[in-house]
Amino acid sequence: MKSILFHAPHSSLMIIMRLTWLNPELRRSRFACIVFLALTLIDIPASKSFAAGTKSLRLDSIQVTLELRDESLEFALKQIEKRTPYRFVYRNQEIKKVNGLTLESATRSLAQTLSLLLAHTPLTYREMNEMILIERTGSGPQSSVGPPLTESLPAFSITGVVRSANEPLPGVSVVVKGTQIGTMTDAQGKYSIDTENGIATLIFSFIGFKTIEIEVNQRNVVDVTMEPDVTQLDEVVVTSFGIEQAKQSIGFSAQEVNGASLIQMRQPSVVNALQGQVAGVQITSSGGAPGMSSRILVRGITSLDPNANNQPLFVVDGIPIDNSTYETASGATENTPRGLSNRAMDINPNDIESLTVLKGAAATALYGVRAANGAIVITTKKGTAGQLQVNATSTFGMDHINKYPHFQDEYGQGSNGLYNPDDIFPAWGAKIAVANLIDPEYRYYDNVKNAMQTGKTFDNHISVSGGNKIATFYTSVGNTDQQGVIPFSTWKRTVAKVSGSLNFNDKFTATVSMNYSNSGGNRVPHDRFMENLMYYPVTRDVRDYEDENGYQNYVGLSDNPLYTAKYSTYKDRVDRILGNILLSYKPVGWFSLNYRLGTDFYSDYRREIAPGPRSSTDEFPISATGYMEDTQINSRILNSNVFAEFKKGLGEDFTATLRLGQELFQEDRRSSVVTGQEFEIPQFFAFSNTKQLLYYNEMRQRRLIGAYGDLMLNYRDMLYLNVTGRNDWTSTLPKGNNSFFYPSYNLSFIFSEVVDLPSQISFGKVRASYGEVGKDTDPYLTSTVYTNSLGFPINGILGFSRDDVRGSNDLRPERTTTIDLGAELRFFENRLGVEFTWYKSNSRDQIFRVPVSEAAGYPTIVTNVGEIENKGIELILNANPIRTGDFRWDLMVNFTRNRNRVVDIAEGLDEFPISTQFGYSGSTVTMKLKEGDAYGNIYGTSYQRYYQGGAPENLRYLDHDLPLVIGANGFPVRNTQQLALGNAQPKWLGGIRNTLTYKGLSLSFLIDARYGVDQYDQFHNFLSAFGKLDYSENRNDVVVFDGVLADGTPNTKEVFLGQAVGPDGVDYGQGFYRVYFRTTSENFVKNASFVKLRNVGLSYSLPKTWLGKTPLKAVNISATVNNIILWTPWINFDPESFSGGAGGNATGFTGLTYPSTMSTLFTLNLTL
Amino acid sequence: MKNLRIKLSIIAAVLLLASCNDYLDINENPNKPSEVPMSLLMANASYRTGDNIQSIGDITSYYVQYLASPNAFGSKDVQDATAFDETWQNLYRMMSDISDILKLADEQNSPHYKGTAQVLMAINLGMTIDIWGDLPYSEAFTGEYLKPIYDDDQSLYVVLTSLLDEAIANLSNGTSDLSPGSDDFIYGGDLAKWTKLAYSLKARYLLHAANSGDATPDDILAAIDKGILLNVDNGAIVYSDQGYDVYNPWAKVAIDQESAILDGWISEQLADAMNGTSYPVVDPRLPFMFSATDEGEYIGVPNGQGRGTGVDISGDRSVISRDTYYAANTAPILIITAAETRFIEAEAGLAAGNKQRAYDAYIAGIQAHMRMVGVDDADISTYVNNATVSVGADNITLDLIMKEKYVALFLSPETWNDARRFDYKYKNMTLPANLNPELNGNYIRRLIYPDSETSRNGANVPSVTLLDRIWWDEQ
Repeated sequence: MKSILFHAPHSSLMIIMRLTWLNPELRRSRFACIVFLALTLIDIPASKSFAAGTKSLRLDSIQVTLELRDESLEFALKQIEKRTPYRFVYRNQEIKKVNGLTLESATRSLAQTLSLLLAHTPLTYREMNEMILIERTGSGPQSSVGPPLTESLPAFSITGVVRSANEPLPGVSVVVKGTQIGTMTDAQGKYSIDTENGIATLIFSFIGFKTIEIEVNQRNVVDVTMEPDVTQLDEVVVTSFGIEQAKQSIGFSAQEVNGASLIQMRQPSVVNALQGQVAGVQITSSGGAPGMSSRILVRGITSLDPNANNQPLFVVDGIPIDNSTYETASGATENTPRGLSNRAMDINPNDIESLTVLKGAAATALYGVRAANGAIVITTKKGTAGQLQVNATSTFGMDHINKYPHFQDEYGQGSNGLYNPDDIFPAWGAKIAVANLIDPEYRYYDNVKNAMQTGKTFDNHISVSGGNKIATFYTSVGNTDQQGVIPFSTWKRTVAKVSGSLNFNDKFTATVSMNYSNSGGNRVPHDRFMENLMYYPVTRDVRDYEDENGYQNYVGLSDNPLYTAKYSTYKDRVDRILGNILLSYKPVGWFSLNYRLGTDFYSDYRREIAPGPRSSTDEFPISATGYMEDTQINSRILNSNVFAEFKKGLGEDFTATLRLGQELFQEDRRSSVVTGQEFEIPQFFAFSNTKQLLYYNEMRQRRLIGAYGDLMLNYRDMLYLNVTGRNDWTSTLPKGNNSFFYPSYNLSFIFSEVVDLPSQISFGKVRASYGEVGKDTDPYLTSTVYTNSLGFPINGILGFSRDDVRGSNDLRPERTTTIDLGAELRFFENRLGVEFTWYKSNSRDQIFRVPVSEAAGYPTIVTNVGEIENKGIELILNANPIRTGDFRWDLMVNFTRNRNRVVDIAEGLDEFPISTQFGYSGSTVTMKLKEGDAYGNIYGTSYQRYYQGGAPENLRYLDHDLPLVIGANGFPVRNTQQLALGNAQPKWLGGIRNTLTYKGLSLSFLIDARYGVDQYDQFHNFLSAFGKLDYSENRNDVVVFDGVLADGTPNTKEVFLGQAVGPDGVDYGQGFYRVYFRTTSENFVKNASFVKLRNVGLSYSLPKTWLGKTPLKAVNISATVNNIILWTPWINFDPESFSGGAGGNATGFTGLTYPSTMSTLFTLNLTL
Repeated sequence: MKNLRIKLSIIAAVLLLASCNDYLDINENPNKPSEVPMSLLMANASYRTGDNIQSIGDITSYYVQYLASPNAFGSKDVQDATAFDETWQNLYRMMSDISDILKLADEQNSPHYKGTAQVLMAINLGMTIDIWGDLPYSEAFTGEYLKPIYDDDQSLYVVLTSLLDEAIANLSNGTSDLSPGSDDFIYGGDLAKWTKLAYSLKARYLLHAANSGDATPDDILAAIDKGILLNVDNGAIVYSDQGYDVYNPWAKVAIDQESAILDGWISEQLADAMNGTSYPVVDPRLPFMFSATDEGEYIGVPNGQGRGTGVDISGDRSVISRDTYYAANTAPILIITAAETRFIEAEAGLAAGNKQRAYDAYIAGIQAHMRMVGVDDADISTYVNNATVSVGADNITLDLIMKEKYVALFLSPETWNDARRFDYKYKNMTLPANLNPELNGNYIRRLIYPDSETSRNGANVPSVTLLDRIWWDEQ
């Protein structure tokens, strides 16, 4: 709304500080040949006490050297703004008239300079707060500005005070709506205005604050409280290399999440904390164990290789860090998954100031190869100048499993419907109620619930920060301690952080930050746990798992899950240091040189122990021989980045910013696995006590050099063009192909600056970008090697065989190109904002490890092939529907839709499998890539469908709507040809956050939905095989299957669903559920959509008056509940967990993973 | 300003230096070599060929009812259409390694390595053909053809015999720069024994081919004469006691059973063939082959039916055991033995009309096996002299030969070849309970191709059912 009378710059202290850094260069300037201008700033008092109204000595003491030749007043004021902490507030039309100023070069006080400048004008100046108000002589806060439109005499006088957070707000524009009558508040925030009568609307506006309209209703006193508008035009986004950019200037898609939103859910993992908050981002937790990994995808899968990393780059304070998930090692033994952490867990969300998600190639082009899947740019908290701040937060939480499958409790252990307390089948036996009359021990136990416990979380965090004009610091210590719902699973994390910055003088700044973390816990074998729980008879008590000697009470088919959880241990301990130094040298206003050096070093040590037999008689040990395994991973990432920045005005209307830089990246990773097998002395777990030692180690090194340039042109703060180029040289591609260049172009146009828009529209921007990113690959894929065979050396003889992968010396870099179009509109004085993005991204020349026929000689070959296309839309809506007095309602909605398509696979291949997950007897499913399909199709067996006139050839998809073909025996016919049964990529994702605040009380809730996603439910497959779910209570029914016979006529044959001989005298063998149901994948590939109440938070800040005499500045108590399922068609545990761990791409598989939990947390936050 | 310019040029120079190529020249794999000597490949190939034999034996032993699942409906028991991907994978990886040895042996003028590698190739390829039929071979192993075509199984049998003929020639070549030694886990570099192994294998494959008329009994008998006739020459992988990973794979099965992961249970068919039920003589080899129950009896489980109620998971039925010849940690995995060679001779002799030779070989086969597993001489002669065994040359029949060969080739994949040639006509052998309905009441005749082939090489994979026969089994 350019109709505001005053072009008054900013009031909030924070915004001013940002702008003093950014804005001078963005403002128009003239060439030095016309004007030579020098402003010298001396003797700024160190303490910041620009108290309002003190027309102090300040204006006299600040010296300014200024020379003007035939310049406008506006220009002169802007030059002064550049070099002083002051901002000018004035009415445009009054200023514009003053031109032709000439001032001899001299050093004068600011007061003197202003007096000279205004000498022959009708204007005068006044200092208010951090501003200097330029106004007409004689006009003051007491009188209205400008003549009234009408001749009639003012009849109704209104006065009042404008405040912000109980402080008076000077300089606020007060205008009678529909007239040109206006005034400004004085130093005490007071105003007085006359209207014709009392029927008028007053508009209060001030940049940096939300504009308010208030109806007078014939009141003589109208007091107003204004609120800062954080979503103002000056919103800043942290982009590549920690550079702050005004959000309006960027032409790509980026979304910021502030620290407060991140800690709302009290999640120890920063990835989980993003759930539902960002458009275009999909987060999947691999399970509910403490410290378990979560996977994050920005705009879907871009690399098809089953092992490729498709997750975004994590950048902390400008330095990329490792976020890998290294599941259980594949040393000598085949390990069951243990649910290890993704390494971004080493960051404490409490230490995060803000987080920006950069989406698409244009957004990340400057980061180069590692950010081809987007980037998560984290800015950690820094100290600010001023008083020492101490903040302490303490959280206690409890976890419960948020969803259980519906189990049957009618039938007990046995098979063929017969009572047998020794049977391997846990629930195909007799009716419990009947057999209980003979054997009182034969009764139902809800073992799945009984085996679980209440999980607990303790989280404590304390931070101290502060500083002065020269140095600031932030330091914190946080500790998280969790116990999982599966007994014996634990995780702990301690993070200590120190950061500080030092301004040696105005030219040189050094910032240092260090983050030390120690984390780890006992990771239970959750897959085996859930599997064993499933095998466990429903008529035996799972909690009775060991005798007094520590021997296992073995029942049924498999180990007792609790016994395994207790004794089969896997403990990890990660020590990590993230260090970061930024040196910034700014000798002159238009040039700066920056150097950043960062390191990410960690040591990840793990020990697994599987005890062997305690003695050799009548015992069921976890392992026949016993073994232990030590894994040690050391990783070191070094990153060096130097860049120079030039900012220059070009003529009146253009500002150009050029950044040139160079980056070095080096990653070293060493891992070693030692396995000892067969303990000689039982229960003594040391390698010296094992019969066989196997040793495996690996070194990986990767290096990268990048050179980049980034040019930003700004036309009148309304049209921005940004062009970037980067060249990378990588160690992982063959020489000759290891250098590659890629550009990006971004255009942003703030049309609301130019076009006259209806007054409801307060801001409008369109943007377009095109970007390319190259991507290299893992080390050592350029050669074909041999590998040491397991178990060798034998008798001192080494044995080798071909490696699984045939390397290639012709690899080229992968290329991802993204077109990204967007628009941003704000309405009703920014109370409603809409951001829309459409994108299309194509990833070509993908480097695959293509699985090929084993007969080819190598099961996998590496080659450049394939193209995948992702298209999608993202929608973000921010609204503030209600804002009356102390009550307000804020709303945030985001929506994401991504569609992908495999455009091309490898030459000579039209399909290949990504991953396979086991299912009983033919129900194994495979995620396959096929040309033309969407990524994520799950293939498996199905019930045959009836096609009139015969099934079409090359059938690919299962048509669920067609009638089943029923065989002559009365049961559905299985189709063993693999058909696509569903797709594991969600059709859309969405989130809605509502925040309601009333004085110190705040209630917020986040609803999060995932729709149109299919997953294979392995646990369901197992449960069905063992007769554990409630639907199998119909096992003794006689039914007619709905469907048609091969000739198309309706099926009428009655069949028995149960085992053995049915009422009709026919032997039904293992029965319907085992013969037909469990063997058909279709029954287990199911809709895994959900709507979740992801988070409900209630928080209360004690009124400040209560804290009056205490040393406390603020006290906040809050309660949070996370992860409540509102709706899902899924019959098993929470469908959100998948079983692969965050490293892999096979997200279509769920199953025997650690069940998800609902957590309830209580937090106390104190500020000193 | 000038100062700045100097600083900038220093920085530029540093950047240029930093981007020199050496910095990036680190992509040579420090963990794994791109070339290895033949002996390292030979060590792995000779040792792990035993794993391949066991891996197939662990499938076929259920089809021929040596073993049975303790639980009802065991998928191998009921002869389900199971895709044995891992077995296929291990066989092809092994053959790919062997193809590297063949290439290196030529390059390094080492016919002795080539000969042994050719025999190893013939062992692995032969087993693969016998369970799957048509296979990729002519376009296999090189990494050049990503979707190798399938060669006809009958033509691959020609490859098999020529591999063995060439091997025999190479093994006797006087000039070999390098020769296998301790890297050979089968014979420790004894080329004479390798030659005998080649002849015995040739006899085995000719016996299969003879079924379809591609070989004559005389061809077979000619090979037998130079084959393995004494246990000391048996083709066997000698396993090490160094640790679990290098134990005999049947020992691992026995270890699983010991720790309640039920595996390695003896079928009622085999137990009854030896415990006096099917034949009126108790076989003295019983305690050397598998465990007795807690009551000292030898009882098996009926295939497909499970152990039944009231049968404990240990001690109530016979299982393979580490206390026996076959499943000790260091037990050998047998490729081909003197006993098998004798039974081939017996069958060929019978077919050639030479009943005396057939009978003598039959007796020699029994004796060789009994000596191998450790039966003492007195017990051997008691058994051999039993009237139902020592029937005399005139009364020798194929049934008798197959009956004895069945016991003597316990756990060997070759028994399934015999069973199919013999049409599963072992005494008292019946279809398992809960037989896979796809088989329509017939015994399984082959394996279906693995899922990895169907999904990665689908266009070339022949469409087969479990009732389609390998070429030598066709009627």
